[in-house]
Amino acid sequence: MAALKDVAIIGYAQARNERQAQATEVQFLFPVINEALEMSKIPRREIGFTCAGSCDYLSGQTFAFVMNLEAVGAWPPISESHVEMDGAWALYEAWVRLQHEDIDTALVFGSGKSSPGNPAEIYPLQMDPYTLTPLGFDPVSSAAIQARALLDAGKVTERQMAEIAARSRRDAMKNPYAQVTGEFDVDELLAQPYVTAPLRKHDLPPISDGACAVVLATGDKAREVCERPAWIRGIDHRIEAHQPGMRDLTTSRSTRLAGEAAGVGSAPIEVAELSATFTHQEPILREALGLGDQVAINPSGGALSANPVMAVGLARIAEAAKQIVEGGRRRTLGHATSGMCLQQNLVCVLEGEQ
Amino acid sequence: MTDTAGNATTTSGDEPVTMMEYFMQLEYSDVVSAPVMRFRDALMDARLIAQQCPKCKLVYVPPKGYCPIDTVELDERNEIQLADRGVVTNYTVVTPVQYYGQKETEPFVRASILLDPPGGMLILQDVLDIPVAEVRAGMRVEAVWAPKGERDVDEIGNRSGSALEGSLRGFRPTGEPDMPAEAFSDKVW
Repeated sequence: MAALKDVAIIGYAQARNERQAQATEVQFLFPVINEALEMSKIPRREIGFTCAGSCDYLSGQTFAFVMNLEAVGAWPPISESHVEMDGAWALYEAWVRLQHEDIDTALVFGSGKSSPGNPAEIYPLQMDPYTLTPLGFDPVSSAAIQARALLDAGKVTERQMAEIAARSRRDAMKNPYAQVTGEFDVDELLAQPYVTAPLRKHDLPPISDGACAVVLATGDKAREVCERPAWIRGIDHRIEAHQPGMRDLTTSRSTRLAGEAAGVGSAPIEVAELSATFTHQEPILREALGLGDQVAINPSGGALSANPVMAVGLARIAEAAKQIVEGGRRRTLGHATSGMCLQQNLVCVLEGEQ
Repeated sequence: MTDTAGNATTTSGDEPVTMMEYFMQLEYSDVVSAPVMRFRDALMDARLIAQQCPKCKLVYVPPKGYCPIDTVELDERNEIQLADRGVVTNYTVVTPVQYYGQKETEPFVRASILLDPPGGMLILQDVLDIPVAEVRAGMRVEAVWAPKGERDVDEIGNRSGSALEGSLRGFRPTGEPDMPAEAFSDKVW
C-alpha cells in the first residue's frame, strides 16, 4: 500500500547482539529505548503510541511481553499494543495508527532473548501440530529443504552461498552491534562439514539476544526534530501457505507482491537490508524484489551476522533508515520475514528528501 | 462416493477419527542477572539489599537494574541495605489442596511485609511462631534467617521474586505493639 500520510523514521537504536546476554530482556531493552528516544528528540511522555514485537516462547517466561513495557516507562498509563511478531510488524501497526489524525509520534521496538531455550525444540511448535510439529520441523531442517530445492533448480551454488556468508561477516566488522564478524576465506568455508546438508555453519544465522527500537513521526513533526528524516514511502506485508509443501520454495511470491505494493520498482533502490537468515534466502529475496547488482545488500552484515529473533527485521528497517539519515542515501529498503522458509514477508521503502 | 479415479471414499461424517498423542517439553536455562547475583550474595550473608531510584525513591527488592516509573537505569551505586524487620501489611490464609507437588498439609499464611526504613516490600512471606488465626495486618515482625551453614540461594534467579525460603525462612512476631493501618495503608500489596 502506498503511504497515505507522511510518516518518517527519526530515531533508532540497537543492542549489541550477544550469544548469551547476562542481562534480562528488559535490562538490555532499557538503554535501547532510551537511546532511540534521545535521538528522536521527542520527550517520552509525548509519544502517542507504543507498539512492541516479541515472543514469550523464546525466553520461556509467561507475560515477558508485559514486563518489557517496564523499559518503556508505562506509568502513568500509555497507549500501547503488542504483536507476537518481529518488531517490523509492530512498526507496521504503528504506521497504520499514525494514519489517524490524533497523534503524531510512535515508539516501536522488537526484542528477543533466544539464549535460554533451544530453537530446534521451540520452533516446531509453531507448525501444523499433526504433520509437522511431531517431525521436529525446525528452522535449520526446513531451510535445508529450501536450499536443496534452490540448488537443484540451479538458482544458486554452494560457493555463492559461502560468498554471501563471507561478504556479510566482512561487512559486519563495521557494525558495532554485530555478533559474527571477520575475514573468511570462501574455500575454507566450503571445506567445513555440513550441519544439515546442504547447509554448513556459515549458511546459518547465529543465535542472538538483542533488541531494536525505532521512533516514528508524521510530516511536520518529523521535519521539526530531524534534519533528514527517513520517510516511509511504501510498506506492505504478505503471507503464504503455512504448509511449506504447498508452495514453491525457490521463489518468494509474498515478497514480490509486498515489494510491488510498496513501490520498490518505481525508482532505483541504493541499499537493501534483507532478513535473509540463511545464505540461500538472499538470492530468493533479490529476485523477488528485482534488486540488481548495483544495489548494496546488507552493508550492516545482515541477519547472518546477528539474528535477534523478533528484532532482526526491525533492525533491517533501522539500518535502511540509517543509510538515509546518516548516510545521505536517497532511497533504501528494509525487509522482514516471519515463519519457516520465508513464509511471510514485509517490505518497507524509505526515502530521504533531495 | 468415489474419487475421480473411481476408488471408494468416505462420505462426510463417516471418516475414521485417528487420535494421536504428542508429548513435548521445553527446557530453558536462564543466566542470573548482575543485580540478582548481588542480591543472592547478600542473602548468603543474611542481608537484604535493594536498589533505590534516585528520583522517586521507590525501593526495588530484589533489585531489578532499573526504575520502570522514571525509566532510569540502576546499579550498585543505587544499592541500599534493608532492615530485616517490619510490619505485616496484608496476608492470606491458604488452605492447601493436596494436588501433586503440594508439600503443605495444614493452613498456612503468606504475608506482605513492609520493611522498616528505608523500606522495601517483600511479598508471599511465611509467618512463623504464631497460630494462623492470630496473624493480623499491623503486626510487627522480624526476619528468621536460616542458620549460616544451611542457607541456600540456588533457587533464586531472575524470575523467583520474593521466594527466599532457602535463606530467609520467614518472619516472626517481635511482640511490639501493632502499627495503625494509616502507617502502611498506602503500601499494601
